[in-house]
Amino acid sequence: MIFNTLLIGASSGAIYSLMALALVLVWRSTRVVNFAQAGQAALSTYIGYEIMGRTHNYWLSVPVAICFGALLAAGVDVLLMRVLARRAQQGPIAEIAPVITTLGLLGLIHSLIGLIWGNAFVQYTSPLSGKGFTIGAQVIPFSPQNLLIVLAAIGVMATFAAIFTFTDLGLSLRAASFQPEIARLAGIRVDRVRTIGWAFAGATGAVAGVVITPTAYLSPNSLDLLLVSGFVAAVIGGLESLIGAVVGGLVLGIGFAFILQYIGSSVTFLAGFIILMVVQLVRPHGFFGHKTSRHA
Amino acid sequence: MLKARLTPLKRALLLAAFGVLLLFVSNHVDELRSYQGAQAAIYVIAISSIIVLTGFSGQISLGHGAVMAIGGYASALAFTLWNFPWEFALIFGTVVGTIFGCVLGIASARLQGPYLAGTTLALAVGLPSLANQFKVLGGEQGIEFDIGDAPAWLRQVVGGDFTQYKWFFWLTTCVVIVVFWTITNLLQSNVGRTWRAARNHPVAAGLAGINVSRTKILAFTVSSSLASLAGGLFAVILGLVTPAAFPLSLSFLLVTGAVIAGVGNLAGSILGSLVLVSIPELSGTLATHLGNSQKVTANLPGLVASLLLIIVVIFAPNGLRPTAAWKAFRQFNDSTI
Amino acid sequence: MYLFHPHERKTMLEHRRKKRGVMAIVAMLSLASSALTLTTIPAEAASTNAQTGITASTIKLGITVPLTGAAAPGYNKVPYAMRAYFNYVNDNGGVNGRKISLIIKDDAYSPTLAKSVTNDLILKDKVFALVGTLGTANTEATTKFVNDHGVPRLFVNSGFSGFTNTSKYPTTYTLLPSYVMEAKIMGQYIKDNFAGKSVAIIYQDDDFGADALKGFGIAGTSFVAKIPYASGSQADPTVVGKWIAGLAAAKPDVTIMFGVSSATAAALGGSYKAGFKTQWILGSVGGDGTTIASVAGATAVGLLYGSIGASFLPSPTDTADEYVAQFQAINAKYNAGAVFDNNVLVAMNTAMMTVQALRAAGSKLTRTSLMDAIAAKGSTFASAGFAPLGYSSTSHVGYNGYWFGVYGPTGNMKPASGAYTLYTTDSGTGAVVKTATARPAMPAKGLPTN
Repeated sequence: MIFNTLLIGASSGAIYSLMALALVLVWRSTRVVNFAQAGQAALSTYIGYEIMGRTHNYWLSVPVAICFGALLAAGVDVLLMRVLARRAQQGPIAEIAPVITTLGLLGLIHSLIGLIWGNAFVQYTSPLSGKGFTIGAQVIPFSPQNLLIVLAAIGVMATFAAIFTFTDLGLSLRAASFQPEIARLAGIRVDRVRTIGWAFAGATGAVAGVVITPTAYLSPNSLDLLLVSGFVAAVIGGLESLIGAVVGGLVLGIGFAFILQYIGSSVTFLAGFIILMVVQLVRPHGFFGHKTSRHA
Repeated sequence: MLKARLTPLKRALLLAAFGVLLLFVSNHVDELRSYQGAQAAIYVIAISSIIVLTGFSGQISLGHGAVMAIGGYASALAFTLWNFPWEFALIFGTVVGTIFGCVLGIASARLQGPYLAGTTLALAVGLPSLANQFKVLGGEQGIEFDIGDAPAWLRQVVGGDFTQYKWFFWLTTCVVIVVFWTITNLLQSNVGRTWRAARNHPVAAGLAGINVSRTKILAFTVSSSLASLAGGLFAVILGLVTPAAFPLSLSFLLVTGAVIAGVGNLAGSILGSLVLVSIPELSGTLATHLGNSQKVTANLPGLVASLLLIIVVIFAPNGLRPTAAWKAFRQFNDSTI
Repeated sequence: MYLFHPHERKTMLEHRRKKRGVMAIVAMLSLASSALTLTTIPAEAASTNAQTGITASTIKLGITVPLTGAAAPGYNKVPYAMRAYFNYVNDNGGVNGRKISLIIKDDAYSPTLAKSVTNDLILKDKVFALVGTLGTANTEATTKFVNDHGVPRLFVNSGFSGFTNTSKYPTTYTLLPSYVMEAKIMGQYIKDNFAGKSVAIIYQDDDFGADALKGFGIAGTSFVAKIPYASGSQADPTVVGKWIAGLAAAKPDVTIMFGVSSATAAALGGSYKAGFKTQWILGSVGGDGTTIASVAGATAVGLLYGSIGASFLPSPTDTADEYVAQFQAINAKYNAGAVFDNNVLVAMNTAMMTVQALRAAGSKLTRTSLMDAIAAKGSTFASAGFAPLGYSSTSHVGYNGYWFGVYGPTGNMKPASGAYTLYTTDSGTGAVVKTATARPAMPAKGLPTN
C-alpha cells in the first residue's frame, strides 16, 4: 500500500516537475512568472495532436510540438514581454504587471484554441500503454507512459542544468538575469539571451504537454490546474533551481498521494498550501533557493 | 488622490452627495443595470482590498478570491444555518475574514514576491474545495443566501417598483461609500504613510523605527476585511455560495482590476470595477454581431476580453487615469514619507 | 524678483492642483452618471409582462449551458441541436405562424456567470421562456429572479429532487426523473436480476449522491462498499486509483457508478489499469458513450462493453425507432454535421416537447397560458421517451421511469431482453412498477400538430 502510494506520488510528481521546470526556466531568464505557460503548452500539444492526426506517428509529433513551443515562447517574449518591460515602472507594479499580461495571454490562447479546434475534449494517443506494469501477479500503478514522463523530467532537468553550468550560453543566461546592466557591459546581448531562455521554457512546456496529455485528455483548459501545481512545486524547490523544481515536484506529488490515501480528495490542494507554508517557514526561499542579497 | 487635501468631513459630504446621485440614477435605470451596478460596487471593494495590499503595502496576493470565499461562506452559514439577521451575518463574515487575514498575514510576513504569489495561489485553489470535505458547507450545491427584498419602510418611502436587484444596488452602494470613506482616511493617515514608507524604503523605514513586519500584517488584515466584506455581499447578490462561485479566475480578476485601476490609486478602483463589469458585456455583444456559430459564441468573448486586458496593461501598466491627476498624485506621493 | 512670494506660489500651486483634482472628480461623476442614464433600457414593466418575448411573428426562447470549461463536453451540443429542430419546425410553418428563435448563452458551469447571462436573457434579450437549462447550482442561483418575474423554465436538465417542489419552484418544469427515482428503480432492477450478489457504489459526495443513497435506501439495497468522491476530483488519477483499491478490497459482484461521464470514464479506465473486474451498472447521467469517448478515448468506450446502463430514451443508434430516424434526418440537414448521440437526441426531444407546449397554449400565447397548457396537456405530449410524462396541475415532473440495457462493443446500449421494459416509480416511497411501454406515436415527420 505504501509502495503503491509512493509510485503514484512519484508519477504525478514527475508531471508537476515538468511544469515546474518550465516556470523556473522563465523565471531564471526574466524574473517573470509566466502564467501563460499552461496555454503555450496546450497550444503546442494541439499542434502535436494535429500532426498525430495526419501522420499517426507520435514520435514525429513530439519534436514538432517541441519546436513549435520554443518558437511560440520566443515570439511571446519578443512581441509582448520586451514591450512590457520597457513600459512597466518600478515598485509593486513591476512585479504584477507581467503576471497580469501573462494571464491575459493565457485567456487569449484558450480562446484561440477554442476558435480553431473547438472546446470539446479530444484524445492524443501515444503508442505507450497506459496500463501499469505487471510485476508477478500484481499490476502496479506505474505504466510505460508514466515511465516516459519520469524520463522526460529527468532529461529536461539534466539537459538544462548542463547548459546552465557548462556552456557559455548558460553563463550568459545567468548573467543576464541577475545583473543585466553589467552583462550588457560585458558584451552579452541581454535581450536575445532572454528570448533564448523563454524558448527553452516553451520547449519544456511542450514536452510536458505531449507526454502528460496521453494519460488523460486534451482541451483548451486541460493543463491549467497543472500550472498551479507546477508553480507550487517550483516554489517549494526554490524558483532558482532546476534540481529544486524536480525535487519540489516529487515532494508535492508524494505528499498529495499520501494525503489522498489517508485523508481525502477535497483537502489535497489545501495540503499543498500547508506544505508550502511549512517549507517556507523553514527555508523562505525554498529548498534549493539562494537568498537574494539586500539592495541598498 | 487629491482627496488628500480634503478633510474627512468634506470627503464624507462629497461621497454622500455622490451616493445620493447614484441612488437617484438607480430609479431611472432598469434592473439589469441595477444588478451590474451592484456587481461593480462589490468589485470596487474587492479591488480596493488589492490596492491596499499591493499598491500601498507592496505584497502580492493571487488568492483574494479565497478570502472572499471565507467572507461569503461565513455570512451564508450565519444567515441560513444559525439564523442571524442578514446585517449581522455580513458583519460576522467580515470579522471571520479579518481574523483569517491576520493569521495569513502573520504566516506570510516573511514571504516575498513570487513566493507569496505561489502561496496565495495554492490557497485560492485549495480553500473552496473544503466545501466538499465538510458536509455543513454544502458541497457543490452550496448554501443558499437569500436576504429577501428591501425592508418595507424603504419600499414605502421610495415607492415604485422596488425590485430585489434595485435593493442590492442600494445596499452595496451604501456599503461602498462608507468603506471608501474609511479606507481613504486610513490611507491618508499615519498608517497609510507608514505603509508607503515600508513599501518604498524598507531599510530607511526600519531605521526610522517602523516595525515593517507589523505594518505588513496590518495591511494584510485590512485588505482581508475588505475582501471578506466583498465576498459576503457577493454571496448576497448571487443568492448562494458554492465553490464554483469562487474559482481561481476570480482572484486573477481582482488583481487585473487593480492593475487597470492603477495599483497605487484607490479612486481608480471605481474605474477598474466599471471596466471589469463592462468587458464581458462588450465582448458578448461583439460576439453576437460577428457570428453565431458554436465556436465563435463560445470563444469570442474570451478572446476580446483577453486582448483588451493585454492592451490595457501594455499601454497603461500603471493604470488608466486622467494624466493631470496622475502627475499631481505622483508628486504628492513622492513628496511624502 | 519673483512675481509671487515662494510661499504664496506654493499655495497657488496647491490650489490649482486641488481645483484640477476636484474637477477630475466632478468629471468622473458626471461621466458615470450619464453613462448609467444614457444606457438605460426603458424601464417598462416588460419583464413581468406576460407577453414578453412574443411578437406576431416570433417567439424568443433562451438557454444557458456550459459551452466552455470542464463541463462542456457533450452538453455544448445540446443548444445547437435544439436550434436545429426549431429551424426545422420554422421551415414548416412554425408554431401557429410564429418562428422560434433560440438565444444561446455560455455559463461555463459557473453560477456567477449563469446568473449574469440569465439576467441578460430575461432583461436584455427579453425571452419568453427559458428551456433546457443545465446544472443544479446554476438553476438555484437564478430561481428567485425567475420566480419573481414569472418566467417559465421548461424541461430543466437536472435530476435534483428539490425541483419537484412546486411551491418553491412554481415556474420550473423538470424533464429527467429525479436521482432518487433513478436510484429506487436501479435498486429494484438489482433485486430482480442480481439477488444475493454483493453490491458496491461510487457516488458524488454532495446532493447528487445523497439523492442516490436516499433512493437506494428506499429500495432496500445494501452495499459492501460505498465510495464517495468530491465533484471534480475524478480528474486526478490518484483519486481514481483509490476508488479502485477500495473496490478491489471489497470484491463486489456488482458496482454502481452514480456519477458524471468523466467520473464514469475514470472508473472504467482505472479498473482496466488495475485489472479489477465487476459487473458495472452506470447511472444515466454518466453513461453517454460519445462523451466518455471524448473524455477518455476510444479505449474507454471499449471498456463499456458488458456494462449495464439506464435510459428513458431509445438508443441513439436504433434507426428502427421512428423518433431516432426522424431526428437523425433533421440532424443531418439542420445541424451542420454534428455526430448524432445521446446529447443530440435529448436536445431534439426536449425541443419537440417545447414546441408542443407552445402549440397547446393556443393562439393567445402568454406565459400563464403556456404553463396552464403544460399542466392540462403535458402528460399527453408525444416524445421519444418510453416513460410517461408526469405533468399535471400538481406535478412539474417529467419522465418517471427507465429501461435497462447492455452496452455493446461500440458504446451503444441495447435493451437487455430485446424489448424496452420500463420500470416506473414516483418521487416518494411508492413502489417500483414494471410496465410495458406504450409510447405515443410520433406525429408525422416529427412535426407536432396538437
